[in-house]
Amino acid sequence: MLPMALMNGLVMGVIYALAALGVSLVVGIMNVINFAHGEFYILAGYFSYLFADTLGLNPILSMSLAVGMVFLFGIVIEYTIIRPTYGNHMYSLILTFILSIVLQNAYLLIFGPYPKKPPGWVKGATNIFGDFCYGNQRLAALAAGTVLIVAVFLLIKKTWFGRMIRAASQDREMAELNGVNTALLNTFSFGLGCALAAAAGVVLAPVFPVTPTSGVPVALTAFVVVVLGGMGSMWGCVIGGLILGLVENLGAAFISTGYKHLFGFIILIVVLAVKPSGLFGSRET
Amino acid sequence: MSYKRFYVILFLASGLFCLLPLVLDLYRLHVVIVSLFYVMMAASWNLIAGYTGQVSFAHAAFAGIGAYTSGILTVKAGMTSWLGVATGTLTAGVTGLGVGFLCLRMGGIYLSLTTLGFSEILRIIITNEYDITRGTMGLQIPPMIAPYSKAVHFFILLAGTLLTLIVVYKIIHSNMGLNFRAVQNDERAARSLGVNVIRVRVLAFAVSSALAGLAGAIYGHYLMLITPEIPSLDLQFFVLSMAVIGGLGSFAGPIIGSFALTILSEYIRAYGEYHVLVFGLVALAMARFAPQGIMGLARQFMPASGVRQ
Amino acid sequence: MKNPKVKLLFLLFTSAVILAVGPAWANTVKVGVVGPRTGGAAATGQAFDEGIKLAINYINNKGGVLGKKLEVVFEDTAGAPDKAASGFERLVTRDKVVMVVGESHSSAALAEIEVANRMKVPFIVAEAWADPITAKNYEYVFRAGPSNSGVVNETIAKWVAHAGFKKAYIVAENSDWGLGIAELTEKALIALGVKYEKLTTERKSQDHYTELTKIKEFAPEVILAYVYGDGLHFFVAQAGELKVSPRAVILDGAGPPSLWPDFWKNVGEYGNLETFVSSMHEKVELTPLAAEFRTMYEKEFGKSPTDYKSRSIFDAILIAADAVKRAGCTDADSLVKALKKTELEGTRGIIKFGTTPGGPEYHQWMPPMLIIQWQDRNQVVIYPPKAATGTLKR
Repeated sequence: MLPMALMNGLVMGVIYALAALGVSLVVGIMNVINFAHGEFYILAGYFSYLFADTLGLNPILSMSLAVGMVFLFGIVIEYTIIRPTYGNHMYSLILTFILSIVLQNAYLLIFGPYPKKPPGWVKGATNIFGDFCYGNQRLAALAAGTVLIVAVFLLIKKTWFGRMIRAASQDREMAELNGVNTALLNTFSFGLGCALAAAAGVVLAPVFPVTPTSGVPVALTAFVVVVLGGMGSMWGCVIGGLILGLVENLGAAFISTGYKHLFGFIILIVVLAVKPSGLFGSRET
Repeated sequence: MSYKRFYVILFLASGLFCLLPLVLDLYRLHVVIVSLFYVMMAASWNLIAGYTGQVSFAHAAFAGIGAYTSGILTVKAGMTSWLGVATGTLTAGVTGLGVGFLCLRMGGIYLSLTTLGFSEILRIIITNEYDITRGTMGLQIPPMIAPYSKAVHFFILLAGTLLTLIVVYKIIHSNMGLNFRAVQNDERAARSLGVNVIRVRVLAFAVSSALAGLAGAIYGHYLMLITPEIPSLDLQFFVLSMAVIGGLGSFAGPIIGSFALTILSEYIRAYGEYHVLVFGLVALAMARFAPQGIMGLARQFMPASGVRQ
Repeated sequence: MKNPKVKLLFLLFTSAVILAVGPAWANTVKVGVVGPRTGGAAATGQAFDEGIKLAINYINNKGGVLGKKLEVVFEDTAGAPDKAASGFERLVTRDKVVMVVGESHSSAALAEIEVANRMKVPFIVAEAWADPITAKNYEYVFRAGPSNSGVVNETIAKWVAHAGFKKAYIVAENSDWGLGIAELTEKALIALGVKYEKLTTERKSQDHYTELTKIKEFAPEVILAYVYGDGLHFFVAQAGELKVSPRAVILDGAGPPSLWPDFWKNVGEYGNLETFVSSMHEKVELTPLAAEFRTMYEKEFGKSPTDYKSRSIFDAILIAADAVKRAGCTDADSLVKALKKTELEGTRGIIKFGTTPGGPEYHQWMPPMLIIQWQDRNQVVIYPPKAATGTLKR
């Protein structure tokens, strides 16, 4: 029981972290909580299904295309809907909340109610330490998730684009004075945030097929991770994601499977009551 | 506008409403009753969202607390519906006080996320404790007054709506209401003027939650069936859309929004399973291009100050 | 917020005007259908849509009912009890239907029968299995479909005994159907002397690794899975990954999810040797009408029928039309009288409602159910023996 729960916690933790990184990026730079984050995750799952299954393209190509298209879609959404809401929490929350419901129902119209599962990358299961069997696709998702997280860290910490992002999220006006085009940066970061949701989506869709409403728990979990880790902190997302994954799965194994997702929200409330800035957060809004 | 004129108009309007059961068939009366429930919800949500600028995602959850408290007490403890509704309202108010106390000192995104978390916790508990709540299966409860009659419930909901509107009106025209606006317009300035920002918000939140509890409790007895759909994000979406489309921060906005959208959703329902999509698109277009809503006279939502640092 | 007076009056008048404009009377006999078109079981809504279309054509080509065309109004319940109750009411008060048929969610049906009973509208339940639906013995409520006790006692328990399983695991979703059928199964297993354990799971859950680890520790020979919808696909796929199956045979206690178009995509090879309950087999036909239904279906939709719920709703509408014809009017009490005397060939046999009050058999007709196993992607009937086209493989 214990090794299985730990393994599950690790896999889910990495996926949570990946999904939360996108939320965190957008919060850090734009101060906008994207309520429709989960719907971008789902959209990528659908695209990946469409390309790989319906059109029969190569899975890796399909996944890249899916992430690319969600990135573009994110940019369109930023341009048409998010842009006028800068600096107004309430307005952006309301708009993205409505957007999430609209997208869910649009998916139902377009893709139907059945779960859609892109083809898996690997088949079968591996016997781990001769102790328990574990699905190979989940192990692959763990590996892919880890690689993607490392890539995001390199992008933010080591590149010129990353420096701009960090500058803008620390002091927006200062960055503007130094010649950073923050409007363009916002658009691009929002797209990137959506692309990260998409990356989590294409990695996980072969394990958990997508349905029109299955993005909701993903987004909620990502919010919990972001608050737990501290708004805008990247390390916070990774540690927060892992903690949440482990707590949920240990809780499910030893306390109650029905209450699995309750643990996360209790953590959320406790963190907000005790240390609202989260584990790694430096500032309070 | 003076208090007197407000009451005259309110009672005149409700007098006209009293004639409705005579002229409407059961289906249309049902639509009006549902609209009244949404008026109670949207008007009380408006009290926090519109007047203090805090987006709570737990308003439907508080309606759920009211409905389930009253429902469980009447079914399992044999309490009368009236006492059940009163207890439900009180429970929602007290819980609102607690949640408000916990997260209103941060405000903004934190409040939204906490209320979201709270609403999920409630949903998970209701779904899992099916021995008591019957989970997603729904708990069948007695009507407010047996034998069941739509007209009688119409009058009860009308009375509840009147009460809600009067409470909301009184609050926004009291000193507390003035404080709300001061807080919303400029938090730091208000604080420097000696307004206790947190206390004002917590109070508004508790009152608003109690009113949601009242609405949920009465509505539950009208439906005679309570399910986790009452404390759900879907219901929250409807309430939010109604307030936004009607006009946040205006008194009549949520009333108009509730009637307009309830009737609209009844009509587009005829076009098949995608009525929620149409509804959502209307709400999205309104919120994006006419953020002041139908009322069109609401102020700018929230000044940029206090958000950027 | 300048002057609410104008707005309040404006609001009052607009609402009054809008509400005053209503749908005009049409010269048809209207039958209402309730079922999920959205939500987790929206696939059932699609199956219902297909069955409705065929039933309307079938009846109207034969001259309709009472010299009028039959019209069907389909109200979405989203599988939610509250929407079901208000949708049912809407059919009666707005559309003025003479009878309501359908439903596939027990929880929704339990809310709807209260409305049917209160508003005195005949209601034929098609595919909601919970016992109390007919066990409440409401005068206006009928069921032309399986009940939990019927499925468990007539089919599942007998199959468990027939196959000689000694250890079983019951997995139930937390709905009226899941909890109800799990309890009946427990009783039946105790009577059979089969060792068992039981757990309850959340209908929407996607991750069953933890539950499956618990199941694996018990090492059952058969898993009776009462989980509807996508949840079942996840369960079957993950049971395969964890090597719980095929050591243990999984039985899908509902049926349709194992036949949904994406079943094989979602479960892959782990779907092989899975078994499920069904009232329809791709090759076996029980009545001449069933063969006719298949021909009509293939002509209309260009594919063969899979989800047996398209046939259930087809039958239910036929029963309704038949009752109206025999009653000669649309008065509710005459319709109930006519329904009680139903003796009609459907796609699943001769339909005749039970008349002994007291139990769930009252106003209920139980169609014969089969247990089918997927063997190399072919459906093989393994129970009852007289209909069997093969034997259980493990």
